[in-house]
Amino acid sequence: MANYANPEVLVETDWVKANLGKPGLKLVEIDVDTKAYDAGHVPSAVGFNWQTQLQDQVRRDIIGPDAFEKLVGGAGISPSDIVILYGDNNNWFAAYGFWLFKIYGHNDVRLMNGGRVKWLNEPDKQMTTEVPKPAPVTYKASANHLDLRALIPQVFEAQKGGKWNLVDVRSPDEFTGKVIAPPGMSETAQRGGHIPGAKSIPWSTAVKPDGTFKSADELRSIYLDQKGVDPNKDTIAYCRIGERSSHTWFVLKYLLGIKNVKNYDGSWTEYGNLIAAPIEK
Amino acid sequence: MNHQTRVYDNVFELLPNEQNPSPLVRINRMNPVPEFALYAKLEWMNPFGSVKDRAAWTMLQDLEHRGELGNGRGIVEPTSGNTGISLAAMARARGFHMRAVVPNKVPLEKKVLLKIAGAQLDVVSDELCPAPGLGDGSINIAKTHAKASRDKYAMPNQYENEKNVEAHFQTTGPEIWRQTEGKITHLFVSLGTCGTVTGTSRFLRSKNPNVKVIAVQPTEGHDVPGLRNVTQLGVSKLFDSSLVDDIVEVEFRLAYSRAMELCQTEGLLAGPSSGLIYEGAREIILRDKAGCGVMIFPDNIFKYTSNMMKHIPGLASGNQA
Repeated sequence: MANYANPEVLVETDWVKANLGKPGLKLVEIDVDTKAYDAGHVPSAVGFNWQTQLQDQVRRDIIGPDAFEKLVGGAGISPSDIVILYGDNNNWFAAYGFWLFKIYGHNDVRLMNGGRVKWLNEPDKQMTTEVPKPAPVTYKASANHLDLRALIPQVFEAQKGGKWNLVDVRSPDEFTGKVIAPPGMSETAQRGGHIPGAKSIPWSTAVKPDGTFKSADELRSIYLDQKGVDPNKDTIAYCRIGERSSHTWFVLKYLLGIKNVKNYDGSWTEYGNLIAAPIEK
Repeated sequence: MNHQTRVYDNVFELLPNEQNPSPLVRINRMNPVPEFALYAKLEWMNPFGSVKDRAAWTMLQDLEHRGELGNGRGIVEPTSGNTGISLAAMARARGFHMRAVVPNKVPLEKKVLLKIAGAQLDVVSDELCPAPGLGDGSINIAKTHAKASRDKYAMPNQYENEKNVEAHFQTTGPEIWRQTEGKITHLFVSLGTCGTVTGTSRFLRSKNPNVKVIAVQPTEGHDVPGLRNVTQLGVSKLFDSSLVDDIVEVEFRLAYSRAMELCQTEGLLAGPSSGLIYEGAREIILRDKAGCGVMIFPDNIFKYTSNMMKHIPGLASGNQA
């Protein structure tokens, strides 16, 4: 992991195995739903459901600070704990969780490289169906870093060009508007295409076949040299619902160390539904 | 067991082997080159309804012989349907429970059949956004059950289990060799777990290194259950490309229209994967002109009425008074 700008935010499965059960280390599996968690998870990990626990259930929004404090404190996590996140779908939803933990100012949160699939396929790693019952603690969010999040006014500003990198991490067919969403997805939009000026860099560009992140040199070469992301500019990453873009946001901000990177969680399901918003195909 | 009178002590005695092969039936009206003898091997005549009887039985027997089953321990398997139906019925008949992890896109008929055969059903959504090299959601959920609940589940794992290949090396290959009296020149198969193509080809090549093996695959974005395009083969550890002479890609919708033709022209009630294989075989025999070809027809049409209604005009209408 040498040469990542912030190597401390990424841990390997072997490190997690060696540190399981240590005081102050808390594991959280974040999945799109908890079917995978229910089938089996890393021993001592609690499970968060991205759909029902990380989203406000009334308006379309991330959970607010009160709900975050209740969720995290209810999982027995204190602000001083080291939180290790991992999950299904190549850590997309875990990366979204990482983004949320950072918004609310958690000091030490890390991703497990390769997610649950890597752990699953390593013979020396155990899994369990036992659901831990941690004693709730009082958790107080230390910050509200909404600067990590892009909202529509900034996206409009960015699409005018010049000052921002806009990174579209969806599949090439979504970028060109050939499809509006991957097959079978219920969240969609009225129009297909991409935000003017966006560069197409699918999320999977950042990972190796086993789902772990590519080396810092490879990532720099891809994002900065080949795709032309300017590290001196502010950057917005987006996808369809904000989970794949969390993964790329993590790469740009923490592995490559680009200063001001925002995740646009409204993403295409917001932008592609706006009246009169400019679209390129 | 008596294959002459066809009286058996239990259903497992009906499973195919060299002495009791699945039938080989010649294609007549749909053969564009009559000098090229083309046969279909009707795997739906196996007792649990598909080619998967072979791998399922060999894998289940292996687990039983190794003492992996019993005392509350059954099996869990990711399946697009046929393996699950065979495994569930076999496992239940042997006294074991079975959990089938099924991709959502599997036709409703197969899901219901799995339940009827005795499987506990886990339906999982497929990948949200496929990444090269990552496994299917259903495979990983099944692996998770096998890892986290070892006391409850053993996983045959048809995608990685060499017994899947061995089943075809021991039965399908010898059957075809005997049934064609060693005259086979072309083998036509589809790709799924690749147990069929690898095991059958290995046997036939051991008898005659010149037998051509043609794998037929649907175009990308297909919805033909049980089949894989080469770009999706990362999940199978059993594919041996050195055994395959040609990979013929067929527009996937032809799987359905050719299946319909086989039903209505040859009287063969073949399913869509058979329709796809037929189309690939047709293209090759037009090219090669002479030979003796065997197509492995994996299953029949009965499980695919909903897919057929989607792709064949007219099937969905006129069904009500």
